[in-house]
Amino acid sequence: MKRNIFFQIAALVVAGILLAIVANAFASRDRKVSLVGTYPNALKVPARETPPPIATPVAPAPVATMTQPATTTTIAPVTATTTTQPTATAAIETVGINPATKKPPVTATTTTAPTPHAQSPAPTTEFNPHPDKPYVEIGFADVKALHAKNVLFLDARRTSVYEQGHIAGARTYSVWESDIDDKVRKLFDERSDPSAQALPIVIYCSGGDCEDSHMLAQKLWGIQFNNVYVYKDGFPDWQTRGGQVHTGANP
Amino acid sequence: MKRFLTSPWLTIRVQLALGAIFVIAAIPKMADPPSFAHMIYNYRLVPGSLINLSALVMPWVELLAGLALILGVWKAAARTVIGFLLAVFIIAISINLARDNAIDCGCFNVADRGKTHEQRIFDMKVDVFRDLGMLLMVGQLWWAEKRRLDEPPSVDAI
Repeated sequence: MKRNIFFQIAALVVAGILLAIVANAFASRDRKVSLVGTYPNALKVPARETPPPIATPVAPAPVATMTQPATTTTIAPVTATTTTQPTATAAIETVGINPATKKPPVTATTTTAPTPHAQSPAPTTEFNPHPDKPYVEIGFADVKALHAKNVLFLDARRTSVYEQGHIAGARTYSVWESDIDDKVRKLFDERSDPSAQALPIVIYCSGGDCEDSHMLAQKLWGIQFNNVYVYKDGFPDWQTRGGQVHTGANP
Repeated sequence: MKRFLTSPWLTIRVQLALGAIFVIAAIPKMADPPSFAHMIYNYRLVPGSLINLSALVMPWVELLAGLALILGVWKAAARTVIGFLLAVFIIAISINLARDNAIDCGCFNVADRGKTHEQRIFDMKVDVFRDLGMLLMVGQLWWAEKRRLDEPPSVDAI
C-alpha cells in the first residue's frame, strides 16, 4: 500500500516535470524561461531601504559650513562617483553610433506630459566609465540628460509591460524571459569594441524595490560593459515627471 | 463531533474544495512562468539555477494533484503532495516574515501589484494562516481515510 503511494507521488512529480518542459518548449517568446537560470543574488536578502528623513523647516542650515544644497539620496552618490572618475574615455556625443537608438521608428503613440518636477536636481555633466562597479544609480535629471544625448536605454521589465509604455527609444531586455542571453550577446556583438563598451547605457525597470535593472546591469558588467547606469526610480518616475513615452513593441 | 469531522459528507466536500483551490492556484503560474520565477526569486530561498525549473514544474504538480483530488484518483498521493507543498509554502513565508523581507506570495496571482512593505507583511501573515487552514483540510482527509481503514466493515457490507 505504502509502496503504491510512493509510486503515485513519483508519477505525479515526473508527469509534472514532463508537462512543464513540453509546455515551456511551445510557449511564446515572452512566456518562456530557460531551464537553468542564472541569478547570482538569489539567496541574498535585500537590505530594506529606509525612506529619507523629512526635513524640518525649523532647523536652519549652518551657512558657514554648507557649501552645496542638499540633494536627494538617489542623486548624491552618483554625483560623487561620476565626478571623481579620473578620465573620460568616451565622448557622449559619439553615442549616436547605434542606429537603433538614434531615431526610434514612429509606429506607435508617443506622449509627453509637460509636468516636470520643480525640485529636479541639476544633471551630472560627465558620465565616465566605472569598471570597478557594475552600475551607478542615477536620478531623473541625469537620465533626462542622457536621453537627450541618444544614449542606449534598456527596459528590464517584462515585454508585455514594455509594450504598454516605455521610455522613448528604449529596447526591451527583460531579465526574466528566455531570450535575454541572446539579446545580451547581440548587444555585445554591436559594441564589441572596448571604446563602444565604455559608452553609457541606461537601464530601468519599475522603480521601488524592482531589481530587474540591477540584474541586467550585472549581466552587462560581466561582459565588459563598464559604463552602465540604473535609473533607480524607473519608468513610473519618468512618466510622472513628463518624460517622453512610447507605446508598442518598437523602441 | 468526531463522527462529523470524518464523515464522507464532509470529506468529499473538503477533497473537492482543496482540489479546486490547487487547480485555480496553478493556472496563473502556468500562464506566466517568468513572473512566477520572479516571485520565487523574491523569496531568496531557492538557488539561482533552480528558480526557473521550480517555476515551471511546481504549477504543473499543483494542477495534477488538484485534479487527482477532484477526480478522486490517487487521493493519498495527491493529498501527500499538497500537504508537502503547503508545508513548504508556510515555512518559506515564515522565514521571510522573520527576516522582514516583504514579498508577494505568488500563490494565486503572479502580477506585481505595487504594494507597500507593510501591506506585503500583513498579506504574508494572512497567507500563513490561510495555508495552515488548508493544511488542516489535508489533515481532515488523512484522518477520515485512516478511520475508514481502521473501522471494521459494517454488516451491510458483508
